[in-house]
Amino acid sequence: MLNFLKKLHYGARVMLSKSGGQPETIDICGRSTVMTHGGQGEPFLYLHSALGESMMWLPFHQAFAKKFKVYSPLHPGFGHSGGFEQIADIEDMAFHYIDMLDSLGLEQVCLGGVSLGGWIAAEIAVRWPERVKKLWIADAPGLWVEGASLGELFRFSQNRDKMREMLFHDPAGAMATMVIKDQVDEATMLNAYQAMTVLARMIWTRPYDPKLAARLRRIACPTLLVWGDHDKLVPPAYGEAYQKLIAGSELRLIKDCGHLPMLEKEAEFVDVISKFCLA
Amino acid sequence: MKYFFFHLMSWPYLPADFDQMHDSAWIWLSNSHYDPVKGHNLYREYINTLAYADELGFDGICVNEHHQNAYGLMPSPNVIAGALTQRTQKCKIAVIGNALPLYNPPLRVAEEFAMLDVMSNGRLIAGMVIGGGPEYFAYQIEPTTARERYREALDLILKAWTTPGPFEWHSKHYYYRYVNPWPTPLQKPHPPIWIPGVGSQETIDFVAQRRYAYMGIPYFHIDVFRRVFGQFREACQKAGYTADPAQMGWGVPIYVAETDKQAREEFEPAMWYFIKNLLKGIGMTPPGYTSPKSAAVILKNQKHFLYKQETWADIENGVFAIVGSPETVRQKLEHYQKELGVGVVLTGCQTGTLPHHLARKSMELLAREVLPKVR
Repeated sequence: MLNFLKKLHYGARVMLSKSGGQPETIDICGRSTVMTHGGQGEPFLYLHSALGESMMWLPFHQAFAKKFKVYSPLHPGFGHSGGFEQIADIEDMAFHYIDMLDSLGLEQVCLGGVSLGGWIAAEIAVRWPERVKKLWIADAPGLWVEGASLGELFRFSQNRDKMREMLFHDPAGAMATMVIKDQVDEATMLNAYQAMTVLARMIWTRPYDPKLAARLRRIACPTLLVWGDHDKLVPPAYGEAYQKLIAGSELRLIKDCGHLPMLEKEAEFVDVISKFCLA
Repeated sequence: MKYFFFHLMSWPYLPADFDQMHDSAWIWLSNSHYDPVKGHNLYREYINTLAYADELGFDGICVNEHHQNAYGLMPSPNVIAGALTQRTQKCKIAVIGNALPLYNPPLRVAEEFAMLDVMSNGRLIAGMVIGGGPEYFAYQIEPTTARERYREALDLILKAWTTPGPFEWHSKHYYYRYVNPWPTPLQKPHPPIWIPGVGSQETIDFVAQRRYAYMGIPYFHIDVFRRVFGQFREACQKAGYTADPAQMGWGVPIYVAETDKQAREEFEPAMWYFIKNLLKGIGMTPPGYTSPKSAAVILKNQKHFLYKQETWADIENGVFAIVGSPETVRQKLEHYQKELGVGVVLTGCQTGTLPHHLARKSMELLAREVLPKVR
């Protein structure tokens, strides 16, 4: 019953947030890209996880939009964003986003993302450090970390219980059962299949970029690493690895949180990142 | 009509409580369950069985490729086929097939198939497959570009067989400065190409357009085969010709014994071992392996798959297998091969736990008492 109320409450917040973000489709060098933006202030580019949470304008987007001018694009291949045929690997994703910054005329942004999005942010920052004012990375793969295997996402993607356990600290909680529903319609299923297809192209052969570790020293801006302390898909050891390789960076663990802090611990997630970006 | 004897080389020694204790016979079933001493005897018996099919007058024998599983112990079907070139005289040897995206360079397939064709004096049938979903977990092969790589690799192999080398090759996924494999195949312009399929329209259209042969793999309800071969004939018409029955193969296990009752008693336990244990996990498909549209169709068709069948009546009604006395098998085989309009039947009965002597007895009855009447 409590879960039911929590879901109702979140649903109401989603409805109330809705008008805060304006979706549009922009052309990025021949790749038709869906992007939602909202708010005023410093430009803040949010790169989503393989969950594709930026298909909607969610309460956490709206919370950031109270402090920043938020840009929330959908990666090529997600939802109605096209151009996936031009993306072969994670580097192509980084080039996609530098093309986007150029076409939007954004000299410098606060850049960050969760999971896949965080990895893309790192790949952008090592190539064009001058374009990143502040960098934050949450629960992201991208490195090889000895003895800390990633969760078996592709093995268990059809198993709802295992997925909830892998992605959430509280697998029985309202958020876990709202994100991974018991019953899904065909459209949702196809969306998920498409999202996993993009992820597979990025990480199937090798779930990290063997060159990234040596390149992280090029990151010049203040960097914050945010990790759910119970992330079972990309364990906190990955946050520690990033922290060691990025000079002057800080690692913040979020207590009782899994792989998706923007959903499971929204308030703390938004607060930590906002303070870091505004400092 | 041509009759081919198919062998999977399954592992028969899974523990009795396997179905309760394990969720897959593929990829994640520990190879500590494998015993190489028993494995040696199995390979010997299985190769003997395939060689016996040649003696009995089957038109061909089939082997195929699977990795990291108990379902089929031929990670390299070419190794088995190599042995069979020396153990058989007349029959075709169909390797259906080599999973092209798993070979880097795919020229390896051009070379090994050419070796088999030359060693067998031109008896090879070259099966070219994308590979099942589990193979992409086993070999960590990127699934979202598998179909592109498959077609490029196939074109490369065909060109390597038909154009004198050395030549240079460039495509999206492959580059070779010197393509010049020795040996080249004995059959000209190249061995027949067979492509197994599970019913996707993309594969049907592709095989029809290229005028290759489409082999409908077993494990589906007879309605699925009715639809698939109908679609294939239509696709051939669209491509401007009438389908030759030799282009269509129907995969169906057949078990023959002295009476209907005896046939079921002997075969049924082996069939359930296969369904409940070995098929577990075969449907594991990585994202991007098919288009989202095909993935949705596959999900919808699951109830027509052998793995979902629960009773012997399901098996019989769906013609997932033909089991009975020589007369029963004759009637059914005659009826369905005519109805489907196929020119090739791919059959087999060794599903793992069937004792070797029963497998051979069934083959004898099929070859001596049934096939002469239905050919």
